[in-house]
Amino acid sequence: MDIYFWIFAVIGVAAGIFTISYKDALPCALGLLTVFMSLAALYVHLHAPLVAIFQVAIYAGAILILVVFVIMLLMTPDEDQMGRQKNIGFRIMGFLLGLLMMCYLAIGAKGIDQLVHQEKLPKGFGDPHIFGDLLFRQYLLHFEVASVLLLVALIGGVYLAKKRL
Amino acid sequence: MNWVIAIIKVVFIWTWCLLWATVMTWAERRGSAMIQDRLGPNRAGPFGLFQPIADGIKLFTKEEFRPKTARKILFNLGPILFAIPAFSAYAVIPFGDKIVIGGKEILLQVADVNIGFLYVLAIGALAVYGIVVGGWGSNNKYSILGGLRSTAQLISYEVPWGLALLAAVFVYGTFDLRQIALEQTGTFLGFLPNWGVFKQPLGFLIFTVAAYAEANRVPFDLPEAESEIVAGYHTEYGGMRLGLYLFGEYVNLYTLSALCVTLYFGAWNLPYIDMSKFLGPISYGIASFVVFWLKVMVFLLSFIWVRWTVPRFRYDQVMRLGWKTLIPLALFNLLITALFIQLTV
Repeated sequence: MDIYFWIFAVIGVAAGIFTISYKDALPCALGLLTVFMSLAALYVHLHAPLVAIFQVAIYAGAILILVVFVIMLLMTPDEDQMGRQKNIGFRIMGFLLGLLMMCYLAIGAKGIDQLVHQEKLPKGFGDPHIFGDLLFRQYLLHFEVASVLLLVALIGGVYLAKKRL
Repeated sequence: MNWVIAIIKVVFIWTWCLLWATVMTWAERRGSAMIQDRLGPNRAGPFGLFQPIADGIKLFTKEEFRPKTARKILFNLGPILFAIPAFSAYAVIPFGDKIVIGGKEILLQVADVNIGFLYVLAIGALAVYGIVVGGWGSNNKYSILGGLRSTAQLISYEVPWGLALLAAVFVYGTFDLRQIALEQTGTFLGFLPNWGVFKQPLGFLIFTVAAYAEANRVPFDLPEAESEIVAGYHTEYGGMRLGLYLFGEYVNLYTLSALCVTLYFGAWNLPYIDMSKFLGPISYGIASFVVFWLKVMVFLLSFIWVRWTVPRFRYDQVMRLGWKTLIPLALFNLLITALFIQLTV
């Protein structure tokens, strides 16, 4: 039993359930923030402080702030968000996508009992240098594909917004 | 023994930041008075120096008022969420070189981690949640507008801020703030001190402007612009809850100034003089701490100076400056730095 893991795992899952079930939008965003934070804590526990920092800086510090921005721009406090989605097609699609995610999780959990608990970490594990080295040598293609994808999204966003300017 | 030292360091730097945040509230009012040709608070103690204590007592003993329509939990959570990042950001920034007591070398830094730099970035980004939650929890138009402005401003200025810092990382080749400080000894080009500001002049400018915006200081204090939205996100707050917001802001200023000194102004190094050569181990530790603190004070005073000199931007001007001026400039700076390093190293 790893108490540290269980504390943050329970907090994370509880915050996740809160996020999808509460009626007011901003507390939901705070629930998501808690999920990100507990994930970051788990990364620290796995000797990967760099990934934990990225988790906080990018997810909590950038993406979620955009979400919060949209919430504050479009909604008011105490506005009930439950049952807002009237389109039955979207509801079915959400259900199917959720099911697909669960299937992925199940596939991912297949080899879980064969996991080895490595006592000794390789030298420099989690170091920014090693991280950069891996990113620009072994996983260069993935890295470049991701950046091209982001660039496409950026140009697409500008194109869509420009039409109405 | 090690954890005793760690606790002493944490308590020390925490009290130190709080102390200077307190003095800053006094310096701000005296500074504004000086600039506007007034006297400022001068009754409590010599030069009015006890004024912050009087203010503190006032804030603590005031009625903790909460409007009826406010959302109780969020309203209480806001100031706490604002204060936690403010008080924890300093953990990785050094406040001096090292001191040797009884043959034991003590680094003047709470946590010497190799990703210190990114930690400051991540914690800095979290500060906005306190403002947003406070604004939303107050359930008041002006407060929500303040929170909204704050998120927009933070998103806009985080980008040039991060890009300017990235260029500095190119120069130093490390994320370790202590290592960055140690690299700034000796001279650059034979006659300048080997400080970051001479290698990254444009980066320093972008960093400073973005830092003012991150700290919600004039000319970027749109989230609390009193001539437009009363007091923005803290309109409904009073007593010590308001105190946490105001105090957190000054602690943020101290942290930002310390980061600026570490990155661009040689941390504890004096120009042309190597203090460790002729000072004993204990006196060197104290001297490095004092030099670092004096440099931080210069930046803190410049925050006051700018606040009472420059008028507030209009909202569209803030956005234009961020997206159309600072981000392209920061990208240009990054490109030049990368080119320079590629061609010379």
